[in-house]
Amino acid sequence: MQSNMPRGTIEVDALREAPQTMSGSEMLLGNAYRPWPARITSMRDLTANEKLVEMRFIDERVREAFVHEPGQFLELSLFGVGEAPISITSSPTKQGFVELCIRRAGTVTSALHSMHAGDIVGIRGPFGRGFPVDKFRGNDVLIVAGGLGIAPVRSLINYIHDNRSDFGKVTIVYGSRTPSDIMFRDQFEMWRHRKDFELYLTVDHPDDTWDGEVGVVTEPMKRLDINPANTYGVVCGPPVMYKFVVQVMREKNIDYDHIYLDFERHMKCGMGKCGHCQIGHQYCCIDGPVFNYWEAKNIQGSM
Amino acid sequence: MGAFSLITDAERRVPRVVVVGLASCFGCQIQITNAEPYLMQILGQIDLQYWQLVTSEDMPDEFDVAIIEGAVTTREAEQTVRAVRERAAHVMAIGACATTAGVTGMAAPGLGGRVGEVYEGAAPESSGELIEPRPVSAVIEVDSEVLCCPIDPMDFVAALQRVLFGSNRLPDTRTLCSDCKRNETECFYNDATLCLGLVTRAGCGARCVNLGRPCNGCAGLSPDANVEAARMACATYGVDVAAFDKALEMFNQVNPALAESGDE
Amino acid sequence: MLYRVMDKRELPALVRAFMESYEVVAPVKRGSGYVFDVIGSPDEIELDYTQTDASPKKYLMPSTETLMRFDAQMNLVDDFTEQVTPRVVFGVHTCDINAMNRLDIALIEGKYVDPYYQARRDATMIIGISCVPGDNCFCHLWGADEAQFGYDLFLHDIGDKYLVSMSNVEATNILEAACEISEATDEDRIAFRQATRARQAAFNKDIPDVQDVAMLMDVFHSDPFWEELGSRCLSCSACASVCPTCFCFDIRDVLAPDGKTGERVRTWDACTSPGFAAVTGGYNFRPTGRERVRHRMYHKLNGFFVNHDRMLCVGCGRCVKACKTGINPIEVLRFFKRKGADHAK
Repeated sequence: MQSNMPRGTIEVDALREAPQTMSGSEMLLGNAYRPWPARITSMRDLTANEKLVEMRFIDERVREAFVHEPGQFLELSLFGVGEAPISITSSPTKQGFVELCIRRAGTVTSALHSMHAGDIVGIRGPFGRGFPVDKFRGNDVLIVAGGLGIAPVRSLINYIHDNRSDFGKVTIVYGSRTPSDIMFRDQFEMWRHRKDFELYLTVDHPDDTWDGEVGVVTEPMKRLDINPANTYGVVCGPPVMYKFVVQVMREKNIDYDHIYLDFERHMKCGMGKCGHCQIGHQYCCIDGPVFNYWEAKNIQGSM
Repeated sequence: MGAFSLITDAERRVPRVVVVGLASCFGCQIQITNAEPYLMQILGQIDLQYWQLVTSEDMPDEFDVAIIEGAVTTREAEQTVRAVRERAAHVMAIGACATTAGVTGMAAPGLGGRVGEVYEGAAPESSGELIEPRPVSAVIEVDSEVLCCPIDPMDFVAALQRVLFGSNRLPDTRTLCSDCKRNETECFYNDATLCLGLVTRAGCGARCVNLGRPCNGCAGLSPDANVEAARMACATYGVDVAAFDKALEMFNQVNPALAESGDE
Repeated sequence: MLYRVMDKRELPALVRAFMESYEVVAPVKRGSGYVFDVIGSPDEIELDYTQTDASPKKYLMPSTETLMRFDAQMNLVDDFTEQVTPRVVFGVHTCDINAMNRLDIALIEGKYVDPYYQARRDATMIIGISCVPGDNCFCHLWGADEAQFGYDLFLHDIGDKYLVSMSNVEATNILEAACEISEATDEDRIAFRQATRARQAAFNKDIPDVQDVAMLMDVFHSDPFWEELGSRCLSCSACASVCPTCFCFDIRDVLAPDGKTGERVRTWDACTSPGFAAVTGGYNFRPTGRERVRHRMYHKLNGFFVNHDRMLCVGCGRCVKACKTGINPIEVLRFFKRKGADHAK
């Protein structure tokens, strides 16, 4: 949308027509419904059903203006198929590239799974309110993730890792269905080995290779030694998980507004308009997807 | 999931399509031909291997997408759709007969006696072994549907494209009245006239109402239809509830949801 | 607010003046009701309408509109330009003006401007007119019986004349060129006061005026009432289609028959549609009529209020007529009234 247009003009330009005078943020925000092309730079299998897809905006201005917070998401566009909201799984410290962890779940993600490095996708965003990393700074962080919930918190984990000295003790509790569903395991194990993080992996259904813990994430949580005065909790996982994890965090005396929950809803437009992601009086897409537990308690129908 | 992976995956094969006709008037297959201006474009996107309406050849053994018109009314048809399901990556049911059993479904209650009314004695052998008419989805899993009697040619084109290229668009399950409000057509109930829009699945854009006729329910009962509340609405607006139930039979005779609520 | 007085007989001249440079839409009779539609002559306008069946929001956000064109093979945006028809919506009641002001909050205020809505809003002039409330009207309960802003001209009926509030230069220029306007006399002022009093007195007193509705929505959030109300929902979304403040939508890609190009369109959607809150994988956060109807009422009578200090419901009463099973905010108010009765358990 350009201001010099006659009033009442709707205009969406193809990229080749994008005026050279437009800044990256004008391009991203002027018409936030409009995706910008990004090229897939790499794709690799994380599990049988999940791929890590790395992308890079073609336009340099967009690439520089697209700066996200851990916990934010974007709308991934495959024209003809549609759009899907996807958490950004890379840290903002990784510049110039955006990584997404894509589970083959719906039509857009299935179509993406059949694409290859070099192909072009559309991206708009970043959207939403992520984790308040500035508040976390100087404190301990307890991160609890289940299944695909690891995707948004990996952005936070990588961010913390890249600024490791800014944070206190960081504990990751990550539950998966089976050992082969565990994502980023090598990376996490390496960091555990280097004593960067405490790491507790659990699975619901072990196999012959598994010598780790079996059961729900709340079990290792219960054993943790936590200083509630300086600990922030982070939760992301399937809808059923929140209540139980929050309960343990509360038992550990972590304060209501020190527990951060990353919610999943159908974020269609990403900018607080379309209504699909409403929870009570809030829009998951702009007021969240990260809410602290105090806020969540104040939202009808959040948990 | 669509068959679109066929054209996006490495082998990039043009999907092989067959069109199968069961018990119906074949009007929905005719409707496909009414997408005339676009037929060549559509045929360019698929490998049409068999179209029952226009060929006397046999159906090939291998294909990717099967489009089925008509209700399952015989054991033979039942076997046909099962065989289709085994071979097809995607099965699309088109038209009221295939999606709701349609008008043929009206024969379901007391089928045996009805045969006697039509034929003297048993049905001729060429009719096959008659069973209570049912939609294709009552026999096999159906991946997508094009609703209404008959189908709209462009609805078909759009549905086929969703199969070929994939789409995250969810099928509407809401009922019709919202469309009349968008179209700003007058509600028949204001005038105590029966209309099945209260419980019929949206998607047609309330075409009949736009032409001045009440909805006769050809898109079938919405899976989220609230038949009990609709009966209450009929009573409130002076429409005979029994007439409402009777009218629903034309396209929903064999809908199990209706049978349940009708037994109450 | 600047105001002048014009003779009612000059109204057709004003409409014709607008028609010279704008498409004019106005309430016209259709069937047993009224609709906003393009007029060919001022004679078609029915200014005595109580309420149109659907709201004029369709001119700011059409039920289906193209957001962009695309090349599906390259996965890129194609050029797309649309010139919105410059339009005058003539004869808008205060409820609908307030509704548009609320749509402005939702769609163009805040971080993200909706450029499509903005373009239509910019190209649309609003000429308001005072009204006499009908049986289903309850705009006064939400302060939507007056329009402080959001119109270009507002015509207050004072008998043989209109007291005209003027808030836009272009509209005022057209008014002054087309009509003889004059300063108001004391008589006009008295007539205006009497008109406002008559209007105030005309509201249906059977519709309960309940205090603290937003808080009550929270307090009675788990009441069995919602099951009772929600179990009547037909899942048709007629309520949202006629509602002047329902702005929720779906975004869909529509391929051209060649499968190579297409359009991304948005189309009205509603939280009362069964799959509205479902996420990929099928989990539905509001699976039954109970949750959906409650959520709709909650957004109208609490959610928007909490964020923007005004109800999203403007009390236009359209859903009262549109819903065939009697689900509407008045029923919610009656429920609260019952809860407040002396003998309530």
